[in-house]
Amino acid sequence: MTVTATEMRRTSGHAPGWYRPLLVWRFFVAGLFVAGVLAVLLRRGIVLDGPMRWSLAVTLSAFLVGSIVAIRRTLDGRHLGRLAGFFIDFLLAVVFGFVALNRMGMFAGLDTVGERFNSNIAWLGIVIIGWLVSGFATRRGRVNEPIRNIARATMGLGIVVLVLAMGLVPGLLEFLARLIDPEVLPMALLAIAAGIAARLLWSDSAAAYFRTTQFEGETMDGLLFVAPNILGFLAFLAGPLLVSLLISFTEWDGLTDAKFIGLRHYIDLFSDALFLRSLRNILFFGVVAIPAAVIPAMLLAALLNSKLPGMKFFRAVYFLPSIAGVVGVTLIWKQLFNSTVGFLNYSILRTTEWLNSIVGSEWVAPQPQWISDESIALVSVIILFVWQQIGFNTVLFLAGMQGISPTLYEAADIDGAGPWRKFLNITVPMLRPTTVFVVATTTILALQLFNEPFILQSPAPPSGPGNSTLTPVVYLYQNAFQQFELGYASAVAWVLFIIIFGVTLLYFRRSGDDGVLSV
Amino acid sequence: MRHKLTVLLLALGLLVAACGDGEEAEAEATTAAPSGTTEATTAAPSDTTEAPATTAPSMEDVSLRWMTRPDNPEEAAVYATISDQLSSSLDGVTLTYEPGSNEGAGYQQTLLTNLSAGTAPDVFWIPGTDVADFASRGVILDLRQYADATGHNDADFYPGPMGHLTTELDTGQPGNALWGLPRDVSTFALYVNLDLIVEAGAENPLELEANGEWTWDKFNEVVSDVAALGSEIKGYGQSAWWGPYGAWMNATGGGFFSGDRTACALDSAESIAGLTALRDLYSTDAVIPYGEDPETPFRAGTVGMFQNGRWATPGIRTVSFDWDVVGLPSGPAGPGNWLFWGAYVVNANTADPAAAWSLVQGLTQADVQAQISGLGANIPSRVSQDALDAFLGFTPPQNNQAFLDGLQNNPTTEGPLWAGSWPEFVTLMDSEIQAVVTGTRDIADFQANICSETASAFSG
Repeated sequence: MTVTATEMRRTSGHAPGWYRPLLVWRFFVAGLFVAGVLAVLLRRGIVLDGPMRWSLAVTLSAFLVGSIVAIRRTLDGRHLGRLAGFFIDFLLAVVFGFVALNRMGMFAGLDTVGERFNSNIAWLGIVIIGWLVSGFATRRGRVNEPIRNIARATMGLGIVVLVLAMGLVPGLLEFLARLIDPEVLPMALLAIAAGIAARLLWSDSAAAYFRTTQFEGETMDGLLFVAPNILGFLAFLAGPLLVSLLISFTEWDGLTDAKFIGLRHYIDLFSDALFLRSLRNILFFGVVAIPAAVIPAMLLAALLNSKLPGMKFFRAVYFLPSIAGVVGVTLIWKQLFNSTVGFLNYSILRTTEWLNSIVGSEWVAPQPQWISDESIALVSVIILFVWQQIGFNTVLFLAGMQGISPTLYEAADIDGAGPWRKFLNITVPMLRPTTVFVVATTTILALQLFNEPFILQSPAPPSGPGNSTLTPVVYLYQNAFQQFELGYASAVAWVLFIIIFGVTLLYFRRSGDDGVLSV
Repeated sequence: MRHKLTVLLLALGLLVAACGDGEEAEAEATTAAPSGTTEATTAAPSDTTEAPATTAPSMEDVSLRWMTRPDNPEEAAVYATISDQLSSSLDGVTLTYEPGSNEGAGYQQTLLTNLSAGTAPDVFWIPGTDVADFASRGVILDLRQYADATGHNDADFYPGPMGHLTTELDTGQPGNALWGLPRDVSTFALYVNLDLIVEAGAENPLELEANGEWTWDKFNEVVSDVAALGSEIKGYGQSAWWGPYGAWMNATGGGFFSGDRTACALDSAESIAGLTALRDLYSTDAVIPYGEDPETPFRAGTVGMFQNGRWATPGIRTVSFDWDVVGLPSGPAGPGNWLFWGAYVVNANTADPAAAWSLVQGLTQADVQAQISGLGANIPSRVSQDALDAFLGFTPPQNNQAFLDGLQNNPTTEGPLWAGSWPEFVTLMDSEIQAVVTGTRDIADFQANICSETASAFSG
């Protein structure tokens, strides 16, 4: 999309054919934004309240200003007019396109296609048979043409049958029919028009007319390439984050109008005994669980890094807990922790009996109430968390260890260092970046603790006996989804975010100071 | 290149098929886009009155979405079948059933998120304790005018849930409102391991109940007898939430709230008597420790009696020992049971309230309730002999009558706090009750302070 200097020279009075329609479109788009701002402010058509209303009004106003700039610079023939117009049109095409597709049921229907595919998956067998036969028809560079053609025909037949069985044809017709729905058609037309305008502005002709330099053209191309990522980030990460921040300044139950209350939730939080209890719990949890999930993982990785037979098997075994579903794993641990029929207490009982029989003692086997005893309920959660994390951390350490140059160990061997000395003086220091990463990720996971106490304590409240397993995220959940306090819950979420962000930043800053990592 | 194009076209075709429903197209005709999605982009705190839950009804067809929480996939399948049946029987109404919960989000999360975004279904189920929260926030419709127009009779359903469902917002007392109809009801019973009872030589609770001798004293005797079988055998177990401990308070004539449900009654002499009995029971080694899951050991055959609702029946049916159910033993004021319930309510933003009401009626008719009860987890909410006869036939347990007796013997109906926040009250109450039962809080201190500790849950 870059142009030469000659192409860039614009001759006055020779505007390209698309110029006038584009200008009309620019005014139309500006009019759309004016209507949008008025609709929000006057609560006609777009009825929002509180911070959401003002957020949307500000956003639409910003786009209105962008449109005015685009019009002015388009009239001047400046690159800024091209750039602003292009990105406004691009965003309009994406937004209107998504809204149109949503109204046509495209996204809501994904479940349907999954169900249809699952229920007709047998027809895929024909395609697989054809593919296998096709593979056999081409062996060692010799092709058996008749068989390969039959195989290909079989594959084609399988696809046709699958498509018909899934109801693709009537589905396609129905989809097209929805295009003429009065709620869909205007959106679809707007999306198409915005797409055409964006394409025109991306053309060489537009680059020449707007006197776009090579650098400006390349910048525009680059921004377009990263646009999907940026849009995804804005829509699914930054957007919800900002919305939750706004909600945290409101009294909102999720059902009625939000009321702006400023920082009151944040002030209340620090006199809220339950929230403070949740912070104390998570602090204790972090202090115990993080070292317990990191230090043994490093030692384990050192063991698994040896070249003994069967190590690959053990690496897989240790990794298994981290790929298992947390709900399923926690349910299994809930059974293990059961104080009357759980395996843990059974093991303690049998081990004590065995020791008594060996030593001749009369020790009484302790039978801890792992989940229901206030003093150890959180310890049970720590055990489960550490068991789940240790495997993943081990794999990370293992990867780090395999990146350490063997020459260091060879030099240490020459110097007469033993295995422990080599571990302490070579492995541990060289693993510093990995250790920082492992500690940071484990800390983040620990501070976000939710599933484990929630499932372990069920059907009793997840806060556990005497609120001993109440964590900030559990408290957030209780406020948001049980007590309809979405504003307060958002404030809890932001305080937790600040804590996690602060701790992580601290790790990386300290590491950066030592030259291990930098931010 | 040609293959890539074919694959691309196929992928596009699959994506396009996502929006199409071949069956609808074949069946015919006018299909509206999945409703309720159009306003989602406006997100968060919207004025829900402007966010229709469905597409506007045409003269020919009304599309309604409805959602209820199934306990398991089998129940979800039955609800989907019922939805299809009602779609056929309700003239001009096309129904879409949504289970509501999935691997990533529970029912309550899904419902609240949908309501916030203005995309909630036209008809949905809520727990009985949530009715006040939804009604007072204007989220659900008062259906009385539609009910009157269709000859509905409140007396067709159990009076306890209907008392809450007819409560007026301004008085907080039963009146002429109608916030929905109960989907189903349930009560507590004791699931009994008959093999252990025989092995222990204890008196059979079912026989004691038949003879009118099933009291707390006899209950304690059976618990002790069974527990005497060995240290790993326990006589009784209950879960640590408000239902089980509340039943003990109910059985002494106490309860959580004052008669008009406007104040805390946890400190009343009757409530304290029930709590004391529970604490005394848990001070022995004869029961599953409070807070421990009792269902797992019961299914393992190491617990004599396990207190739970009808919803536990499908899980218990898989055990290998001889079992049955028996009603709760009588305390000083009777068996002290609960009547649990949930209700179908109508979204205040539905485009067609009359059609939504007809759906609520359809979902609560006797034959529909019988179909759902057939899975074993529910009891029909309609006082219909046909539905109850059908329920009695769904065995095991043989003594299904124990659940129906629980409904008849003056149970306390679970319900919301019209003058406060039930979730907040429960959160505050649960941990303190647990502290008392496990001996970490003195019961006198509890009695002296609990009502002031829970005062913030009451409005005004």
